[in-house]
Amino acid sequence: MHDLQKAAPSVTDESNVARYVLIALALGFLALFLVLPLAVVFTQAFSKGLGAYVAALTHPDALAAIKLTLTVAAIAVPLNIVFGIAASWAIAKHEFRGKSLLITLVDLPFSVSPVVSGLVFVLLFGAQGLLGPWLREHNIEIIFALPGIVLATIFVTFPFVARELIPLMQDQGSADEEAALTLGASGIRAFLTVTLPNIRWALLYGVLLCNARAMGEFGAVAVVSGHIRGETNTMPLHVEILYNEYNFAASFAVASLLALLALVTLCIKTWLEWRYADALAAGRRH
Amino acid sequence: MDIFVEHITKNYVARETGSPAALDDVSLHIRSGELLALLGPSGSGKTTLLRVIAGLEFANRGRIRFGDLDATGIPVQKRGVGFVFQHYALFRHMNVFDNIAYGLRVRERATRPPEAEIRRRVEELLSLVQLATFEDRYPAQLSGGQRQRVALARALAIEPRMLLLDEPFGALDARVRKDLRRWLREIHDRTGQTTIFVTHDQEEALGIADRVAILKDGRIEQVGTPDEVHDDPASPFVMTFIGDTAALNVNIRNGAVLHAGKRLPIVGSSAGEGPGTLYVRPGHVQLAQTAGASLTGRVVSLRRFSSGQRAEVRLHGTGELVEAELPAGSHVNSGQDVGVNLGQVRIFR
Amino acid sequence: MQVSKATWLQRLLVLAAFALCFFVTAFARADVALLNVSYDPTRELYREINEAFAAEWRAKSKEVVRIRQSHGGSGSQARAVIDGIDADVVTLALAGDIDTIAAATKKIPADWQKRLPDNSSPYTSTIVFLVRAGNPKQVKDWDDLARPGIQVITPNPKTSGGARWNYLAAWAYGLEKFKDEQKARDFVAAIFKNVPVMDTGARGSTNTFAQRGLGDVLLAWENEAYLALNELGKDKFEIIVPSLSILAEPPVTIVDGNVDRKKTRAAAEAYLQFLYSPRAQAIIAKNYYRPSKPEHAKPEDLARFPKLKLVSIDSDFGGWDATQKKHFSDGAIFDAILRGNR
Repeated sequence: MHDLQKAAPSVTDESNVARYVLIALALGFLALFLVLPLAVVFTQAFSKGLGAYVAALTHPDALAAIKLTLTVAAIAVPLNIVFGIAASWAIAKHEFRGKSLLITLVDLPFSVSPVVSGLVFVLLFGAQGLLGPWLREHNIEIIFALPGIVLATIFVTFPFVARELIPLMQDQGSADEEAALTLGASGIRAFLTVTLPNIRWALLYGVLLCNARAMGEFGAVAVVSGHIRGETNTMPLHVEILYNEYNFAASFAVASLLALLALVTLCIKTWLEWRYADALAAGRRH
Repeated sequence: MDIFVEHITKNYVARETGSPAALDDVSLHIRSGELLALLGPSGSGKTTLLRVIAGLEFANRGRIRFGDLDATGIPVQKRGVGFVFQHYALFRHMNVFDNIAYGLRVRERATRPPEAEIRRRVEELLSLVQLATFEDRYPAQLSGGQRQRVALARALAIEPRMLLLDEPFGALDARVRKDLRRWLREIHDRTGQTTIFVTHDQEEALGIADRVAILKDGRIEQVGTPDEVHDDPASPFVMTFIGDTAALNVNIRNGAVLHAGKRLPIVGSSAGEGPGTLYVRPGHVQLAQTAGASLTGRVVSLRRFSSGQRAEVRLHGTGELVEAELPAGSHVNSGQDVGVNLGQVRIFR
Repeated sequence: MQVSKATWLQRLLVLAAFALCFFVTAFARADVALLNVSYDPTRELYREINEAFAAEWRAKSKEVVRIRQSHGGSGSQARAVIDGIDADVVTLALAGDIDTIAAATKKIPADWQKRLPDNSSPYTSTIVFLVRAGNPKQVKDWDDLARPGIQVITPNPKTSGGARWNYLAAWAYGLEKFKDEQKARDFVAAIFKNVPVMDTGARGSTNTFAQRGLGDVLLAWENEAYLALNELGKDKFEIIVPSLSILAEPPVTIVDGNVDRKKTRAAAEAYLQFLYSPRAQAIIAKNYYRPSKPEHAKPEDLARFPKLKLVSIDSDFGGWDATQKKHFSDGAIFDAILRGNR
């Protein structure tokens, strides 16, 4: 016993050194690659004063970009909630041929370069594309307009909700839903009162991540946007345009808004984790 | 409520195991008010049969009748079955009270009882399952046995036509299991609810059921009271599945049972002529002096059971193993040569 | 708990529907909306032109016209028009890109370049050098770019219209100096050996040179060089004018297929005509583009354009079609030069 007590501190001493080195490394890395760039964004944004900052954000083109970004997210995120829940439900609770293929497909947007994702829609809906002539005939604008941007965003952000839900739903099985059904609940009722509460935290996570990406997506949207000022420029695209016009303060002002969005997302996520730690743990333990 | 299972056939791939489980032309009559056990090894189709009765799965062929009502096409919501799942399937985000009240609250407005009535019913059920002070707890705060009791109360809350339990005690430890078993029997006797429960544990089935239906490979091997299936098994499978048995190779010639060429003093065998297998339970094997015994062997080992002691005997000549239950106070040593007399046996060809 | 979940979803849906309505109503103000799909460096130019034209059109026709702009590399903008972007007019860096649109979509007649004066180019430009203040590497002419130890910044001729002009200007100088095609080719190869990075568009290269501080010389549009000088500091850079350069003619045209479908032909044609008007020509000169009708420009603006010998794509290179095939197609001279330099 005595020997053990004597030996114990020396063991922890050694691992302490390793621990501090690791912590220092991690913090240094974070400072260099996260904090510093964020700081640069904000100092640049305010480099010409608060007035210029506000002016940059209230410029009609900037407002249009903000509005477009919010609109795209407001359409893409709810749709992805529905698609994500449907896909995870199908994958987690049913057996069918081609299930593993579906799982792979759900992940596809993660493994495909966003530029390719955008090009896919150009190839499909572009004037030279598969459906282009038909769309033209019926005067339906998809590419270089809101629908194209929404489609590209949905494609790129599709996996976020589904990926959060699939493992959880698989883990939970379908006994809860079956129990609700035997107790007389309709399918919808069982979904709303049993399934949804069971997956709500994972769903919220997925929605947060999905939203952050939907607002921040550049590559895929750049391909289908057409870069029409004040019309099809989302916030990330607008940042680039302003930068290319030597309008650095304005560019970083819009960028700071995006950075702010990321920070808010992070805060909400952390707050949720802290606030509902018990519920989360209980949900997993059960 | 009488339940009639008529020629149910189902081809099916079990999700959990991926192995094919099937029901092959199963017919069964569950009498009103009885407690019936569906007993069988895993993959025998017992759970599938229960789920088909509940309406959680549908058969490819055959009919399910509840009394005069053809229930085959009725969806699960309208069948009015109380179903208890192996892993409880309690709604983890609702407390005990809300769990039990769920089935009443999801009713359409016309048939939904007022909230005060719901409260009265739930409290009644809570006291029935002896959890009266637990109504505000969440499932995660309950023990396994308590959870299963809540699950039962929840199933009873909708006043079901019948109660279906899928391996209700499978996830519990032995001690709790025993208590719950007895308690389930009590509840059944008090409510008179027609009840079917699935189990792979023959002791559980024989211990509380009025009748036992034994399934194997999607077919019913035998239906009968615990005594019937234990003492008068209809097949070698039932014989070996219910209780311990020893098996001896025998030959039947002119009505006489020959073992290793020696005639055994067994009467009333109607198994016919030719080679067969003789099954005997440890309780029907008596050890005796070697002289005058029909078989002889050497004691290989002695084993202690909660109920008594058993000796394992290797027969001279054939080397077959036979287990014998020893009466209290007998003195047998390992390595000792003994005579073996067989009481009640079954011979299958 | 269950109830709050349901309303939460409902609230989201309502929000989405609201946002959709908001968007649909947002852009219904102008009587006519034109889309001008242009190349990278013309942002500032067209911002001013569009304002002037909108005012004039309103006075003339009582219609509110809104001109929407899309900018990008000339080649990729042409691609966007081919893929269906609803351009009423295209104002690109080189005729070759518009030829490509005409060939691929049939929305523009093949003889489009004859429809407006001056080869449909209301303004021209040329290629000059931008160097750091004080010209520390003493860059005077094209010969200095081929010197070892000099870093030259240019976009990629494969994707950028401006870069093709850069390349052709260098080629023209080499040919003028050595009077021998092989030697001209070696000369251009020596210059491209000095190129450390190639951006996809002119703006990208300007940023690489000016913002990231890479390279000793930037090959740039004349207007782009002046803009960088004005925006980023006259004390930081100098413009060097070589002895010979190329006459770059960025052409404009309406996209007939689109304007006829959108019934915007009148406004679109007036818009392009306006580019040749005294008012627009003055704006053009002010933005450092060389006006096709210099008589309308302010003399002090014109005085900023240095005199230098300019070769032209049509008389010296035999037109864009031939040039494209000879120099820039896959496996043509430019590819060979890059391979040789590797």
